[in-house]
Amino acid sequence: MVKKKRIRLIAEMARKIRAYRELKNRPRESEKYALDYDTMTRPHTRKTLPVLAWQDVRRESRLFSLLSGLRMFGVGHLFTRKSWLTEHPEAPSYWQVTKVKVDYTAENMDHGRAWGVLTYKGKQESEPKEMDKVMYHDWRLVPKHEEEQFKLYNPVPEPPIRYVSYPPLLRAMLLAQRQKDELGSAAEEPTLPLKRDVLLSKEYFRSQEKKRERQEGTAV
Amino acid sequence: MAASVLQRCLGAVKVIHKCGTYSFIDRRCLLSAAYTDTKLWEEREKDHQNLSLMAALMDRIYDRNFPVSSLTISRFVDNISSREEVDQAEYYLYKFRHSPNCWYLRDWTVHSWVRQCLRYGARDKALHTLKNKVQYGMFPDDFTFNLLIDSFIKNEDFKGACSVVEEVMLQESFNLLTTQILSMYALSSYLATKPELSVSEQRTLGAALLICGLKQDNSTGLSAQLLGCALLGKVEMAAGIHAVFRGMPLMWTPGYLGRALAIMERVAATPGDSKLSKDAVDYLEGLLQDLSSALDSKSSSGEDELGGEEEGKKEEDEDDQAEREKLPLYASRFKELSGQLQSGGKVDPSPLQVLVSSLVQQGLASAEGPDMEQYQRKVGEWEAERQQLIRREKEMRERAEEERQARQAAKAAAQ
Repeated sequence: MVKKKRIRLIAEMARKIRAYRELKNRPRESEKYALDYDTMTRPHTRKTLPVLAWQDVRRESRLFSLLSGLRMFGVGHLFTRKSWLTEHPEAPSYWQVTKVKVDYTAENMDHGRAWGVLTYKGKQESEPKEMDKVMYHDWRLVPKHEEEQFKLYNPVPEPPIRYVSYPPLLRAMLLAQRQKDELGSAAEEPTLPLKRDVLLSKEYFRSQEKKRERQEGTAV
Repeated sequence: MAASVLQRCLGAVKVIHKCGTYSFIDRRCLLSAAYTDTKLWEEREKDHQNLSLMAALMDRIYDRNFPVSSLTISRFVDNISSREEVDQAEYYLYKFRHSPNCWYLRDWTVHSWVRQCLRYGARDKALHTLKNKVQYGMFPDDFTFNLLIDSFIKNEDFKGACSVVEEVMLQESFNLLTTQILSMYALSSYLATKPELSVSEQRTLGAALLICGLKQDNSTGLSAQLLGCALLGKVEMAAGIHAVFRGMPLMWTPGYLGRALAIMERVAATPGDSKLSKDAVDYLEGLLQDLSSALDSKSSSGEDELGGEEEGKKEEDEDDQAEREKLPLYASRFKELSGQLQSGGKVDPSPLQVLVSSLVQQGLASAEGPDMEQYQRKVGEWEAERQQLIRREKEMRERAEEERQARQAAKAAAQ
C-alpha cells in the first residue's frame, strides 16, 4: 500500500564522506581552547572569558602546562585546583593522574585529555575518571615533599540520617494500601528520610544517554 | 690514560678499588672515572644504520602523516658520529615530540643523546634541549643527570651546572645520594662566586636549595634549607607569593621567611649535632635588615604618592600585604633565635662550600657503588627491550611482505 521508498545510494555515500571529513578535520583541543591573553577571547569561538576569571587566567596555569614539564606527563602526581583550596580549605581535594592523551599539534604540548582518580573533600573514589575542567587556569601541582601533609585529613563523622513521619493524608493512604496488600497494621510506621537518595543524578542520565546512543548508533 | 687502563684491568664494578683510584684522579671532577666511563655503554650491540637513509625515511613517514616508531629515533640518536649530526638529531627529536608517539620516547634514547652530546663536545646543545624539555621531551633519569652535572663541574661552568640542577629540581628527582651531593656542590660553588642574581634566578636557586636540602638530614641540608627559604622569602616580599610558586614544585601557603625562622628554631631546640652554616644565618640577617629599611623608606616617602598609586596597590593580594606587615615580627624573632643558636653553639663558622666538600669526601665514593649496579641492571633491561622492539619490527615487516605477496598472487590469479 505504501509507495516503496527509493534507496538513494549517492546521498548515503555523500553522508558517509561528510561524516569522515568532519572526523578528520575536527578541531583539536589546542585550537578549541587556545586563548588570546591580551583580549581574553578564545579565537575558535570568539567568546570572551568572564571578567571574574581574568585575574586567575593571568596568574595560574592550565593542567597541561604543568603536565608538559613533568616526566611521563606527570602520571602519578597529585594536582589540586585553586578554587577547591578557597572553597573548602580544611578538606583536601585532589586528582591523581593515571592516563594522559596529549594533543601533539599544540606547540608547547599544552592541551589534551587526562584521566585520574579523584579525592574530593577527603573521600577517594574507586575508579579513574576523565578529568573535567582541564583547560581551566586553576591548577596547582602538589610538591612531593608536601604530599603527605596535604593528604592528612580527619573526617568529621556525619550525623545519622533523621526520619520524619509522613503528612497525615499521605500516611493514611499508605496504611490503607498496606492493608489492601494484606501486610496488616503490625508493620512499622512509614517514615520519610531527611537526606535524599538521589536516583536521578547526572551519572544516571549520562549512562541512559550512552545506552540510547549505543542502540540507535551515531548520526551517519 | 693510565687511569683508563687501570679501569679495564679492574673490570666493571669493584667498590673497594674505586676508593684507591679516587686519589689518583684530579681533585676537580667529583665522580670517579668508573662512573663516567663509557665502556659499559659502548659494549651494547651496535645497530649500524646510515644516518641519511634514516633521515630520508623519517621525512617520508612524517609527510605521509604516519607515526614514527621510537626504535627509529633511538637508532638515529645511537648512530650520531659528528657534531653536525647532533644538530640534525635535535631537529628529529623535536619532530618526534610533536608526533602522536611522543609518550614512547625511550629512556635509553635520552641517555644516549646526552652521552653523544658530551662525546662530541655539544654540552651547550644538551643544556639547550634540557632547558626546553617541553619541546624536546628530554626527561633524563638520575644517572644521566649525574653525568651531565659532573661534566659541567669538570669544566668549572657552575652556572651551567646550576641550570641542570634547576631541571633536576623541577622534576623533583633528588632521590639518589649522588645527585644530592653533586647538586649541593654545584649550588654552593656557584653561590661562592657571589654572582648578581635576578629575581627568577633567586627563585630557582632558592627552590633548588630548599628541595635538595630537605632530602639531607645533616648540617649541610639544614643550612641549604635555610638559605633556600631566605631567597624565596626575598622573592615573595618583592613580587608576591604567586611569583614564587608558579611553575615550581613549591607550596603555595605564604610565609617563606616564617619557614626559615622555623628551621632555625628547630635546630636550636634539637639537642643533636646539627649546626647551621654561618653565612646562611648572615644572609638571612642582611636580608631582613634590607627589607625592613626598604619598607621604612617606602612608607615615609610613599604618603604623598598614595593617590596615583592606589589602583596599582589594590591589585596586591591581602596575603602579600599581611606578609609585609609581619616583617618587624620576623626581625625581632630572628634576633632572639640567632642569640639562642650562638649560645647553643649551633652555628658553624665554615661557609657552605666547606661543609659540602666535607660531605663529598665522606659520602660520594660509597654512594657511587649501588648507583653503578643499578645502572648495569638498567642497561641490561634497556637492551632486552630494544632487542624485543627490533624483533617485533622484523616480524611486522615479514607479515606485511607476506600479505603483499598474497594480494599480488590473488590479483594475478584473478586476471
